[in-house]
Amino acid sequence: MGNKTIGEFEELVLLAVCILEGNAYGITVKNEVEKHSNRSILLGAVHITLYRLQDKGLLKSELAGASAKRGDRRKRLFRVTRKGMEYLRAAQEVRQKMWGLIPRLSTNA
Amino acid sequence: MKKEPRSSAHRIADWLLDRYVATSYREEFLGDLEESYEDRKASRGKLVADVLYLFDTVHLIYGFSYTNSNYPTRHTMFTGNMLRIAWRNAIRQKQFTILNLLGLTIGIATCLAIGLYVYDETTFDTFHPNGERIYRVNQPMIWGDWNTQFAATGPGVAEALREDVPEFEQVTRIYNPGEITVRIPGKDAAQFMESEFFWADQNVFSVFVFPFLKGDPATALHDPNSLVITERTSRKYFGANDALGKVVEIKVNDSTYIPYTVKGVMADIPLKSHLQFDMLGSLNTIPLMKTGSSTWIWTIFATYGLVKEGADITALREKIQALPPKWAPATTERVFNQKFDAYLAGKKWTLYLEPLCDIYLASSPSWHRFGPSGNRQFVIIFSVVGTLVLALSCINFMNLSTARASNRAKEVGVRKVLGSDKRLLVWQFIAESTLYVLAATIMAMLVVQLSLNAFNVLADKHLDLLSQLRDPWFVGVLLIFVLALGALAGSYPAFYLSAFKPAETLKGKVRSGFKRSGIRNGLVVFQFTVSIALIICTFFVQRQLAYTSTMNVGIAKDHVLQLHYMDQLGDNVEVLKNQLSDNPAFTNVGLSYTTPPNVWEGDRYKAEGPDKPVVDLGYLRADEQYLPLLGVEFVAGRNFDPTNAADKHKIILNEEAVRILGWGTREQWMNDSPLGKHVVQAFGKEEKLEVIGVVKDFNFNSMKEKIGPLLVMHRDNNLHWSYHSGPLYLSARLNPAVVQNSDEMQNIIDKVQKLVKAINPSVVFQYSFMDEEYDNSFRTERRMGAVLNIFTLLAVAIACLGLFGLAAFAAEQRLKELGIRKVMGANVRELVFLFSSEFTRLVLIAIVLAMPIAWLLTDRWLSNFAFHTPIEVWVFVVAAVSALVIAGLTISYQAIAAARTNPVETLRNE
Repeated sequence: MGNKTIGEFEELVLLAVCILEGNAYGITVKNEVEKHSNRSILLGAVHITLYRLQDKGLLKSELAGASAKRGDRRKRLFRVTRKGMEYLRAAQEVRQKMWGLIPRLSTNA
Repeated sequence: MKKEPRSSAHRIADWLLDRYVATSYREEFLGDLEESYEDRKASRGKLVADVLYLFDTVHLIYGFSYTNSNYPTRHTMFTGNMLRIAWRNAIRQKQFTILNLLGLTIGIATCLAIGLYVYDETTFDTFHPNGERIYRVNQPMIWGDWNTQFAATGPGVAEALREDVPEFEQVTRIYNPGEITVRIPGKDAAQFMESEFFWADQNVFSVFVFPFLKGDPATALHDPNSLVITERTSRKYFGANDALGKVVEIKVNDSTYIPYTVKGVMADIPLKSHLQFDMLGSLNTIPLMKTGSSTWIWTIFATYGLVKEGADITALREKIQALPPKWAPATTERVFNQKFDAYLAGKKWTLYLEPLCDIYLASSPSWHRFGPSGNRQFVIIFSVVGTLVLALSCINFMNLSTARASNRAKEVGVRKVLGSDKRLLVWQFIAESTLYVLAATIMAMLVVQLSLNAFNVLADKHLDLLSQLRDPWFVGVLLIFVLALGALAGSYPAFYLSAFKPAETLKGKVRSGFKRSGIRNGLVVFQFTVSIALIICTFFVQRQLAYTSTMNVGIAKDHVLQLHYMDQLGDNVEVLKNQLSDNPAFTNVGLSYTTPPNVWEGDRYKAEGPDKPVVDLGYLRADEQYLPLLGVEFVAGRNFDPTNAADKHKIILNEEAVRILGWGTREQWMNDSPLGKHVVQAFGKEEKLEVIGVVKDFNFNSMKEKIGPLLVMHRDNNLHWSYHSGPLYLSARLNPAVVQNSDEMQNIIDKVQKLVKAINPSVVFQYSFMDEEYDNSFRTERRMGAVLNIFTLLAVAIACLGLFGLAAFAAEQRLKELGIRKVMGANVRELVFLFSSEFTRLVLIAIVLAMPIAWLLTDRWLSNFAFHTPIEVWVFVVAAVSALVIAGLTISYQAIAAARTNPVETLRNE
């Protein structure tokens, strides 16, 4: 876990938190990821990832924003940290750099 | 929103939640849960939502549990669970729990008691505010072995220091005259014997800070005939009255009493002070101080200096070496008529500076006249033993915990599968062992508190646990100790267990890798090595004590009643002596100025004639009945003859004295008898002393020392300077035929007391028995022996507890194996043998290891004694055999139980 890079699912969750900007918590993140990736994921898995990212210092959170739908309970709202943004950018740069290196025609050697 | 009635799925989910999610999570958790439930209900209907609610709950619990340990509240869920598991484990395996706690409690209690003792011994004299600047000035033992330090100096040393060494802010002297008689002036003057009366320079309180209740410490001892007393003494003499300004009288000789005025009352001296006094008189009262204050050979003063702040002690030590050559020659020339160099004869008159806090435990000088002195050797021995006993019980704890590990291997496996990481498991086991240690520590404190009185009596200390508990340092140390010991004792099982691979433990594989634990066996060997070595050492301590108390000291020391301070009776002592001689209860009655084994006085003599060596002889002044009373054997010549008036100026020597005077040994006397020769004082002007008899060597000092040279002088030798001075003892040998039991003994003593009181009612009556005095010279050794016995017993008990636990565990593990062997035809005897042999092998290894260690230790300790018991092989054999027997008994219970189990029982439950 000491690795400086982040996993694919982590990246998706992190991106979802960025998109949701201020309204990112377990369920919205789950929905957002499901919406873009077209796959069904477990709420528990989202929570694990959110907490893990928070421990890595890529996310921060606070309890706020109770709604009637939740039975007047507050939710843990996540926000991306500067470090989180750096990680995201780094991940994107790596991809772009590598994309750029792919020859136009794939070789089957 | 409206509250809907909760379905059973809701209820189950809530119940799970209550059990597994900590309160601080619940809000967020339930919020998410509820929201997704509502979403689902809206999109897919209530039934699906209800069913999926439970599913959501379960995987959400999983989601919430799998977080990083940095998350502060995350542990709470596991902590509760761990406590519960720890408790269940403790309850399920009562035997192990009790063994574990018992072993730990004994170990910690022992360590705690010893810790209190060691702390007490090592913190003497630490209460003086300027303590780190106070030094005692020591010098060589100029009357004997110049190589040993002597805690007393002549009064001139202090004067020289004041004069020549400005680095000293204050230099003060204290003088202990021994027991003196004090009375309150008045008609019916009550008399008291005071053994803790000292004289001191007026500046004594600028060096030592003792709080005053009344009076001014700066001026209290300024004038002659001033006295400072402690609160306790004030109550003893004056009750509730104000003691200040009151007068007491101190006896100088039969007819002279000197009045002293109380100028100060101080709080009682703390127990942890090497200076223990009840009364302190002004030193300038003593007439001799005026004339002889500059002398360097009146070595009865303790000299203390308070050095200035920032003084360089190393340089100071160097500097004061210049004092003896400058100041002492005046004394040697005047008293011995010798130049300083001739007096030294190559030896060095060194002045030593001994820091105040080192005084109590110093091994050289090992004693002083002003209060208690400790024994560093004992402190070291006890520290080592305490640490060992603690180590033994920790090893037990570790061993039993690892032994139990196989039972918990599955738990570890399940925990790991559920996502518990290694760190958390380590933490769990360490926390569990810390809880055990905490419980054991609390019990140990109870045990120590309850047994401290007995321990205090045994060790002659004043230890107190409760007062220590008020000390934050002590509590802090105790807490650190609990945590450290918990971590230490828990670490091995913790890392061992947490390293299990879940796949293997769950399949039940762990046992195979478990039986031959080298470390575990090593620990058992270590335990038994320590126990056996302790047994052997204790054995020799006891043998040595028995040896010294039954040793033939050369005189008949039993049945001798000694009356102290009979000089109080003046010439009437002869009346008492005659009365006792007529009593059939006594066979001999004699008078002497000291009694064995406390003949410490000595002087310098030489054989008459040119070029004879100067030697130090101990001397004993006694009347003609005393030597026969002791039962001393004459090897040449005769005793004093009362009918021959000239005999009182003659002397009797012991063989050793004849030898070192240069008159040869017994064989050479045939040609050249020492009888009729003369001994003269080395440098004095006194009479020549004619030798009329030689007695066989006998121990007139403690049996720790070799028999020294002795000169016996008649008590009425009025030519000797010590004529009729010092405390006089009247010794009477009881007739065992008449005095057969303690009642009769008490009767006789009462009778004697009446006789004494009839002669002089104000006399303080004090008595002792000679054999007890001899025993007393071994009091510290005896104490150490008794304490060591207990600790050895505890160490053996702990080792046995451990072995018992391991055997029980092994029996449990091997039930099936034994069952199969039995089915295959093995009988109980063979099984017991098979089972025991494994442990017996460990004990045998321990025996082999323990022997040389014990031999070295014993040899070293015994070499402290001039007369000691030989190191005999049979003690080692007995210790080895008893260790084997004890271990055998410990194991055999388990072995027999295991071997006798019906194989059907053990093999069936497959």
